[in-house]
Amino acid sequence: MADLQGVDMAVLTQALRRRWRRDAMVTAVTALSAGAASDTFAVDVALNEELRSLIFQRSPSGGPVEGALPKYVQARLQRRVQEHGLPVAEVVCILEPEDRLGQGFLMQRVAGESLAPKYLRDDTFAPARAVMAQQCGSILARLHALPTDLFKDLPLARASTTDQIARLEAMYRGFDVDLPVFELAFSWLKRHVPPPVGTALVHGDFRSGNFLVQPAEGIVAVLDWELAHIGDPLEDLGWLCVNSWRFGNWRLPVGGFGDREDLYAAYQAAGGHIDRPAMWFWEIYGTLRWGLSCLQLAHQHLSGSVVSVERAAIGRRVSETEIDLLHLIDKGTI
Amino acid sequence: MAIPNAVDLVQAVRRFLEQEIAHDLKGRKAFHAKVAANALAIVERELSHNLPLIEREAYGALLGRQGSAKALRQALCAAIRDGALDDRSPGVLDALKAVTVARMAVDNPKYSTFLRMTSR
Repeated sequence: MADLQGVDMAVLTQALRRRWRRDAMVTAVTALSAGAASDTFAVDVALNEELRSLIFQRSPSGGPVEGALPKYVQARLQRRVQEHGLPVAEVVCILEPEDRLGQGFLMQRVAGESLAPKYLRDDTFAPARAVMAQQCGSILARLHALPTDLFKDLPLARASTTDQIARLEAMYRGFDVDLPVFELAFSWLKRHVPPPVGTALVHGDFRSGNFLVQPAEGIVAVLDWELAHIGDPLEDLGWLCVNSWRFGNWRLPVGGFGDREDLYAAYQAAGGHIDRPAMWFWEIYGTLRWGLSCLQLAHQHLSGSVVSVERAAIGRRVSETEIDLLHLIDKGTI
Repeated sequence: MAIPNAVDLVQAVRRFLEQEIAHDLKGRKAFHAKVAANALAIVERELSHNLPLIEREAYGALLGRQGSAKALRQALCAAIRDGALDDRSPGVLDALKAVTVARMAVDNPKYSTFLRMTSR
């Protein structure tokens, strides 16, 4: 993690009074994480009659990752998806430049476990794990069923699968590294582009680690909408099955907690369409995409834009995606 | 024998981080100390593996020529990019697996796919 810049409580109080409630008083700000796409803080707010727990999310100091939405777009998208019944934290207010807090927004803090190793291993979460693959299938089917017209006023990327591959390849070429396995994966992907099963709002980062999980209920909120775009909906299902998000539980391909068949069945039961050869493609695409993210994060360290031992070390996770790509291309699954 | 070599020094620093520093820290700093110790563990393994030699052998045999690891790696990338080789070409997957497995033994020998591909 890169270092988090502090947030001034008085400045945040002023912003909340301007944008949300005139009786707001920030009583505590705690840095939670500095991710590739966001810096995240827990914010406690006292109102006249009650206490509220919020999350403040803003663009990271090193700049957002490739393809990430500006925070005000992410916030408006989250709001709209939540209004249509998906499990998303309610956006409280969107900050403006005059608030002097960077690009960001505040949302309700939903209670739940976000650390995947915890909900994947603790016995208390066993009931959650039993239902999460089905939940993922039905959440994604409902998301993908939303008409894309709902989002037409938001500047979301809209690209064909071929264009998405080209964008990844341009990013790879920009790093000026020689990775034969990535070359092989690009060659494979270009030969296996599936016909799209439809055009939908794709979450873009729907995976273990981006859910809030309750021990008995399972997934109560889906986080991190900054990579949302319009595209082939099966991208979300493939990404969810990438080996890195199984956190070692490789026998449970859906996020380390479930089976593909349960995911697919729930997706289809809720109106989604599954194309099995396309799933192979999207798992390979997702694995390569994660490999490129590792390269990008390591590049931030090497170029000096975000100097961090974590960013440096993540460069050595590229080989994990290489071995997964070879296994996927060779065996057809992982 | 009496002079610590590079592996001995890196190992000493890694153990210092793991056993004395990480315990005294909390939260993100403790996490960063663990990441730092893990990075040194990679350095230790890299110092005792000869990855360039494995690349020279695997890529040299595949391409039927000799050269430095970097030159052969670049030539292989170019051959795949130009379509002269792909995953269906004889020997390509085997050569890439040999190199990638060797790299994983340095980068993360606990990784699931590495364990699956190396245990019989």
